[in-house]
Amino acid sequence: MLWKDKYELGVPLIDRQHKELFKRVEEFIVTLRSSASWEDKLQRVDETLEFMKGYVVEHFHDEEEYQKKIGYPGYNEHRKIHADMVKYVVNASKEYEQGNHSEVYMQQLAGKLLSWLINHVAAEDQRIAKYAIEKGVANDEQ
Amino acid sequence: MSNDIFSPFLDATRSVFKLMFDISDVNELPIENFKFNDAVIICIGVTGDLEGNIVYKFPRNTSLTMVNIMSGMEIESVDDFVTSAISEIANIISGNVVTMFTEKNVKCDILPPVLGNTEDDKTYALTNDFCVSTSIGKVCIDIRLNQKNK
Repeated sequence: MLWKDKYELGVPLIDRQHKELFKRVEEFIVTLRSSASWEDKLQRVDETLEFMKGYVVEHFHDEEEYQKKIGYPGYNEHRKIHADMVKYVVNASKEYEQGNHSEVYMQQLAGKLLSWLINHVAAEDQRIAKYAIEKGVANDEQ
Repeated sequence: MSNDIFSPFLDATRSVFKLMFDISDVNELPIENFKFNDAVIICIGVTGDLEGNIVYKFPRNTSLTMVNIMSGMEIESVDDFVTSAISEIANIISGNVVTMFTEKNVKCDILPPVLGNTEDDKTYALTNDFCVSTSIGKVCIDIRLNQKNK
């Protein structure tokens, strides 16, 4: 299982979304790494990719709104990290579509997502949580 | 910029291994003990006040163990998924180093990771080729940078 309790930030809204994101990325990786033929898993991979493209944007948006609400001082830097990742996912998706849905693009995307997501939640997002807890606003919902 | 180019890389590697793999024992290793015939080699270009390349060498077994820890899956061969995940680790370590440089008012950017070594015939003023040992295997980092004249 990708999710580890140590990734929990103590900010309920963000923790719920992180768990969902990890679940979806895990499903994406499990589907991709299964021993089924590429033709057999193509539809599932495409569906998961479409969902993730939407969900990543939605989660980043909600997280950024939360940062604005609590006056997080690293908002601009964090927003840029999100924007760069969205750009990467969109470009990878375009290359995949233009490359006849070849498996190699999705294996590369999944590898990047795996490392990026763990580092982002374990390192970058912990800074938001630390700030929210110090300010006593960690339990505030949007 | 001091010539201590080594410490930020060691600190960043320790930090990333601790956060992402729960590994605290990251120690410097004499380079002659390190053979990397089967390594995943990742090159990251550096631009800005410092220019050059950082070459990371992750042996096959280290790479597979890292990806197995992150994914919770048993992956037995180095493929596009593994090299992409390891490339991102190299990217994260380099990003942490750039942040440390920025705190010392040395402003740099890194380029996207490229698979494979990029040998060139340039001479670099700031170099260090070192390895670290960890409980999941060794990692080697070859630093080749020049300070840009302002």
